[in-house]
Amino acid sequence: MKILQKIEDRCIACSACEMACSNAYFKVKDREKSAIRITEHGQDKRIHVCNQCGFCIDICPVMAIKRDALGVVRIDKKKCVGCLMCVGFCDASVMMQHDEFQEPFKCVACGICAGVCPAEALYIDKDAAQVPLEKVTFFK
Amino acid sequence: MEIKAMKEARTLLTAFDYEPAPLERGYTDRSLHIRLGENRVEARAVPALVREKFIGGKGYGLKLLWDAVKPSTRWNDPENAIIVAGGPICGITQYPGSGKSLVCTISPMTDMPIDSNVGGYFGPYLKFSGYDALEISGKSEKDVVIFIDGNSGRVTIEEAPLEAVDGHVVAEQLTEMYAEDEEDKKNISIICAGTAAEHANIGLLNFSFYDLRRQVARLKQAGRGGIGRVFRDKKIKAVVIRFRGTKGNLNKPADQSRINKAGIKLHRQIHDLDDAQCRMRQIGTANIIEVMDAYDLLPTHNYQYGSHPDTYKIASKVFIEKYTTQGMPDGCWYGCSLSCAKTADHFELKTGPYKGHKVTIDGPEYENAAGLGSNCGIFDPEIILEANFYCDTYGVDTISFGTITAFAMECYERGIIDKSHTGGLELTFGNAMAQLELLHQMSRGEGFGYHIGLGVRHLKQYFAEEFGADRAFLEDIGMEQKGLEVSEYLPKESLAQQGGYGLTNKGPQHDEAWLIFMDMVNNQIPTFEDKAEALHYFPMFRTWFGLMGLCKLPWNDTTPADNGMTDEPAKIPEHVQNYVDLYNGVTGASIDKHELIRQSERVYNFQRVFNIRMGKGLRVHDAMPYRSMGPVTAQEYLSRQERYDQQMKELIGVDPEGKSVEEKIAIVRAYRVDQYEKLTDAVYKRRGWSSEGVPTTAYLREIGMDLPEVLEVVTPLQA
Amino acid sequence: MIQVNGKPMIWSEGMTVASMLKEKNYIYAKIVVKINGVFIPVEKYESTFIHDGDDVKAIHMLAGG
Repeated sequence: MKILQKIEDRCIACSACEMACSNAYFKVKDREKSAIRITEHGQDKRIHVCNQCGFCIDICPVMAIKRDALGVVRIDKKKCVGCLMCVGFCDASVMMQHDEFQEPFKCVACGICAGVCPAEALYIDKDAAQVPLEKVTFFK
Repeated sequence: MEIKAMKEARTLLTAFDYEPAPLERGYTDRSLHIRLGENRVEARAVPALVREKFIGGKGYGLKLLWDAVKPSTRWNDPENAIIVAGGPICGITQYPGSGKSLVCTISPMTDMPIDSNVGGYFGPYLKFSGYDALEISGKSEKDVVIFIDGNSGRVTIEEAPLEAVDGHVVAEQLTEMYAEDEEDKKNISIICAGTAAEHANIGLLNFSFYDLRRQVARLKQAGRGGIGRVFRDKKIKAVVIRFRGTKGNLNKPADQSRINKAGIKLHRQIHDLDDAQCRMRQIGTANIIEVMDAYDLLPTHNYQYGSHPDTYKIASKVFIEKYTTQGMPDGCWYGCSLSCAKTADHFELKTGPYKGHKVTIDGPEYENAAGLGSNCGIFDPEIILEANFYCDTYGVDTISFGTITAFAMECYERGIIDKSHTGGLELTFGNAMAQLELLHQMSRGEGFGYHIGLGVRHLKQYFAEEFGADRAFLEDIGMEQKGLEVSEYLPKESLAQQGGYGLTNKGPQHDEAWLIFMDMVNNQIPTFEDKAEALHYFPMFRTWFGLMGLCKLPWNDTTPADNGMTDEPAKIPEHVQNYVDLYNGVTGASIDKHELIRQSERVYNFQRVFNIRMGKGLRVHDAMPYRSMGPVTAQEYLSRQERYDQQMKELIGVDPEGKSVEEKIAIVRAYRVDQYEKLTDAVYKRRGWSSEGVPTTAYLREIGMDLPEVLEVVTPLQA
Repeated sequence: MIQVNGKPMIWSEGMTVASMLKEKNYIYAKIVVKINGVFIPVEKYESTFIHDGDDVKAIHMLAGG
């Protein structure tokens, strides 16, 4: 499946990915509106971004979260009722949310951030071996 | 085809078009009033004074009901109204448990106001459709369906002869009828009852929500106090609401950010801790079945005992492993990550008119397992599920039904009644088929089941007058007070909980206070004053959920990791602060946790005065049957002899040595009844009431519930 | 003799928090334990001994029902 892969020891925490992401989706350079987030504790750099595990798919009460043909987990904003359960239940805390928006947002593995990363710490992996966690149970 | 025929058989009685009022900071400030019979529909503005004093939810319900009825009004009078109201927080999607409707009416069980808190999507959709409250009064001659289209702003009343009455059928039919397609079904919510609600005073209301994954309309219940009986007496088959376009900001809150923060924090807490705490997501309220048994609190054989060797057969893991399906959120409104609503899917029924059908059963909740199960000596999970299903679809309150049946079974076992009275049913404890048969009879209004449906208070009179039973003994073992059956906890060893049941507005229901662990196990409230403080704080705090349109489970059935370190862990201070934040976030007000209690005090005392206005609500009505306080019979005493003997020595100061069981029962009884009276004194004092249980005018002024009509009721009763 | 929630309980040699809870049949999931005012985390229930005369609290966190 298609995933944005990260190589954290290459990250220099320059924030280029955050700015590119928020600019691409919300027309503003604001890390709080980026689907990828960098944190830094001294030399320890962390890249927080969705690995498309799909756990949130079963959490959503209106089935607004689905996996697309490429394996990317996407939110249908029209269906979303803004309950934010997916935000609280994301193990990696990478289902993002901003109070200015009704719906949460997440990485869709578009690769824009990888294109601007000067340290080559990010790349798109179209064939990742991620195990999907959703059960997508129907009862009829 | 079926739907088409139903539609063709409809006759439009009236249509009412309106401009949906916009929601602003949690309120529309409009209420919708439907008068059946006259087929009048009108919208009214909610006066500012009503909003200030009554806040919303059951506050609005009680106020509208007060205005609708007279002291002489009984449940089946046309002026009696059913009021459904959310509350200012109702309809937010970010915080668990925020979609509740509060329903009020004059109860056929208690002849005074009842209020019931229910999930499903109706309450939020009513607000989104432009109304803070819906009042239905009058009576129709023929069965009707009321439809509210919240987007276009249209209310219709139609004669509806062909639709079913049983809840699970009519909910499916009407969801199908009013939804344009599968996707649209989640925009529909239905209020309905069931066939038993046409005969039984313990009739309930079902509120639906559509389960997108199971593709079925599921039902949540406004269970207590017989509201379904009033609904069917008015000849309402269903109230249907449709609202398209639910989003997270429809309440137009003053500060969305504050609500989001509280919501995400609680979602995260539930994610991190629930599996190790109450397992609400795994099993819901049934998690405490075996816990209650371990602490001798699980009502067994009509509250004679608190545990049973067979409880393991109905323990929560049995339901998890064999019946309920998992792997999804199971909330009754969006955003409820606590997700206590469980279902058993594809459950094949063994009895009754739907025998052989494979159905989706909501449950088992704790109350059902205890009421339908252990209290009746039934330890068969499949019977509990089947009885649960039939209760819901027939529109029967599982709690009352369980407690009534348990009472009748004890009477049967003791020879007070026999087969000639029960129509041949062998009503021994554990006779599950007899229990189910009573339900089926109730749905047809026939046989002994009909009498069961009228409640313990009725049965006591019926058994005494018709069969010559000893009335005093029936008063001791019949677990009702104010006409309402006691819910499913054994309060014998917790004086505070006897008060938690007895010193309540609507009857012995644990939604005001559940103090058994604090009192009996933790020993945190040893004095009368401590207990009285708890019996003030918790009922007031919990009344507030009913003002807001909130569920109480997310307050108490999940706790922050560091809660034990706080100064008042029982109150869960972090969650109280969340509620303050939600209220302020939605309404833009700036209340604190003390003003929160004050808001409740006003409505709580209004309800007390309402009861008094209806000829109830005094000290004499707050007495509890002795079965709830201590051992009535020798068997009960002997089963816990060591405990009672020890207490006699240590607490009463009497040496049990050489005394007969009867003497000992009398000694314990005198002591415990006296304790309850002393508790009553302390609680009344703390609540600002006279020794007869009447709110003093001074106190009503202090809390700001000194409306003229309220003072008019209590002034003649001031000591 | 020890005190558990202000009531006497017979003490026995080698009693731990875990064995005390078991003896009392305190199976509820949300219990906060303190010995002489000191909080004991769940993971130490097996290894924490209760001594004769200790004042133990095993507070059940449920006020809801």
